[in-house]
Amino acid sequence: MEELRKLRQKNLETIFHPKSVAIVGTNKVKGTVPHDILDGILKAEFTGIVYPVSPREKSIKGIKAYKYVLDIPDDEVDLAILVFPSSVNHMALEQCGQKGIKSVIIISAGYKEVGEAGLLKEKQLIEIARKYDMSFIGPNCLGVINTAPDTLLNASFAREMPGQGSIGFLSQSGALCTAVLDYAQAKHIGFSKFISFGNKADISEIDLLYYLGNDPETKVILMYLEEVSDGEGLMKAAREVIAQSGKPILIIKSGRSAEGASAAASHTGSLTGADEVCDAAFEQAGILRCDNIEEMFNKAIAFTYQPAPATEKVAIITNAGGPGVLTTDAAISRGLKLAKFSEETTAILKKALPATANINNPVDVIGDARSDRYLAAIQAAFDDPDVAGVFVILTPQSMTDIETIARDVTEIAKGQTKPIYASFMGEKDVAVGINLLQQHQIPHYILPESMCSAYQVVLRFNQDIKNRSHQLPEIGGIDKQEAGKKMQKALANGRSYIPEVETIEILESYGLPVPQGKLATTADEAVAVAEEIGYPVVMKVVSDDIIHKSEVKGVELNLGSAAEVKEAWDRIHKNALSAVPDATISGLYVIKMIKGSEEIILGIKRDPSFGPVLLFGLGGIFVEVFKDVSFGAAPLTREEALGMIEQTRASEILKGLRGRNPRDVESIVDALLRLGRLAADFPEIDELDINPLFVLDQGKGSVIGDARMIVKTNN
Amino acid sequence: MDKNEILTRVKEVVSSVLKTDPSEITDDSNFVFDLGADSMQSVELVAGFEEEFDIEMDQDKALEVQNIDDAVNFIAEYV
Repeated sequence: MEELRKLRQKNLETIFHPKSVAIVGTNKVKGTVPHDILDGILKAEFTGIVYPVSPREKSIKGIKAYKYVLDIPDDEVDLAILVFPSSVNHMALEQCGQKGIKSVIIISAGYKEVGEAGLLKEKQLIEIARKYDMSFIGPNCLGVINTAPDTLLNASFAREMPGQGSIGFLSQSGALCTAVLDYAQAKHIGFSKFISFGNKADISEIDLLYYLGNDPETKVILMYLEEVSDGEGLMKAAREVIAQSGKPILIIKSGRSAEGASAAASHTGSLTGADEVCDAAFEQAGILRCDNIEEMFNKAIAFTYQPAPATEKVAIITNAGGPGVLTTDAAISRGLKLAKFSEETTAILKKALPATANINNPVDVIGDARSDRYLAAIQAAFDDPDVAGVFVILTPQSMTDIETIARDVTEIAKGQTKPIYASFMGEKDVAVGINLLQQHQIPHYILPESMCSAYQVVLRFNQDIKNRSHQLPEIGGIDKQEAGKKMQKALANGRSYIPEVETIEILESYGLPVPQGKLATTADEAVAVAEEIGYPVVMKVVSDDIIHKSEVKGVELNLGSAAEVKEAWDRIHKNALSAVPDATISGLYVIKMIKGSEEIILGIKRDPSFGPVLLFGLGGIFVEVFKDVSFGAAPLTREEALGMIEQTRASEILKGLRGRNPRDVESIVDALLRLGRLAADFPEIDELDINPLFVLDQGKGSVIGDARMIVKTNN
Repeated sequence: MDKNEILTRVKEVVSSVLKTDPSEITDDSNFVFDLGADSMQSVELVAGFEEEFDIEMDQDKALEVQNIDDAVNFIAEYV
């Protein structure tokens, strides 16, 4: 796998920087993809050699055409773009392989996206690629663009070549690409690389992420994904790219509402939706998830156009009080602060601005301000030692010289080490100013709220990156072999659901805090166990046929004597068999009752893409009502486990509320780390619930109250 | 009908529809890859074969035929 990754990186370099390109299957028919791809390459003024390959034409657009790629006389053709129908692309790819071409883009549709027949064609392409050590982007993609002046490759059927910039954009949707290009064009946003990767039959978003991570022309990586086929791989790639390059990765992952939680075999299963898992996994990997294209580009321009801010302290310069207050509200609600001006700054502002101006932060240069007041205020803000970033707000009054102010902002921003952002509020009259700002890489936002969000994201990313490490802790007291034996024994009769007693035995092998107690098969045995562990005790029905014990009244608490144990024995049996007449009852589990604790839930759910996912939350029988839960993809660092706890409302309760003692949070962290290890060591575990985990006072640990496991079987 | 006769007549239809020099059409020529037929021309080829051989073919299956050899074998089932 590693060899294949390396090969793809090598071949990607040629895809983006080819010295010659063959367009295989092109023709003269305007408005068709085969024609327009060639047309696009020529219009963009590709710096290399172009070889049209067409079975019918002797020349296209004045360039000699070849019937087959094998007919091209030159020894080296760097890149082939296949635009034949899917029925024959494999023949073209085979010839490319024979020719020694290693790098290919397959534009044509008609593959996996049309069903089984198309998938078979895709597999055929992959086989050919493997045979010749080739790599390809696609099929079913818009293509690829590299704006570098020494290449100027538009190997796509996008309408126009975008401007040069430092944003690398990848998309699983080709159609979205065209919309994004049009949107970016209007806002003067340029790209380093622009890639539609289509069906990702060979080169995936993970390969492209690594590539852009190493690309000197790319400063920020944007991605649109419809499905995450290898979540664990994506997380690993993101972590590595961020650690090595410091480049932010922003992703829109669509389908938030498309998938619901799995069927409720366990509480964890019913609480763990695909989108929540994606959110948690992205957060852990340092990926910035965005909800829409506008948000994504709002943040991207903040990352690429201006220096990163050093602190959360901003200065707001406005010509209107209302927008100044709106911006202040937006800033504060996003964790930013208003910088406190020095006496020197205040003196400068007092001198430069009229008496009616507000010289505190936010600075109101007032409605009749022209560029001179703006310039003075902005310069003073830049020079103030407490200011880390400057926000310029403008509303179009009759005397406001919009274009001059915009020009002044672009001039004053040059060479600054602090970022400046602008919000020229309106649309028609301010358009001339906005255009100038955009052309000169001053991040502009229609709304102050978007401006503050963008600043906050850049600030936080750069602060977090210094502390970001994925150091996994050592965990002692684990007996994997013993757990394996217990697992095998529990699964011996082909079942997939492992009830409480056996699940707890497995958890004990991983050092998790199991309750004192035993399975009793007679009432007398139950009394003996109770007397051994000490009253009060809890008794629970144990049966492969009963999953939700409380619902069948199969649990009794606070049993304080032998007589109570015996009476409860009879009642539990009667209740269980009344609810599930055919149930086979193995016995009753007698455990020591825990008092004075908080109940939380821990769980494992195996996600098809992200692997084992851990859950933490406020527990008990109403967990699915409160849904105060958090997720983390295993394996976790200690910080991630603690982070899972702290992001819930339950964490406030655990700290101690209304006179209650703080609880042993460290024991929860330990349990999460051990569960993560268990899930990694035993891939057959599909779901696991510990509900509740009784968390005692700080220093006193925690105890498992109930647990069950669901295992993948071959059935 | 003899397959050689079918082959000769198939090549004539192909040459006419695709305006290709008959010398460029071999027995295993792929209509798209070797002869450059687009989707419209593929339909015209099917119509051309039906007219030439006075047959009615299953359109979907006929359009799946990829090359001269397969076309000959396909048409042979009808004549």
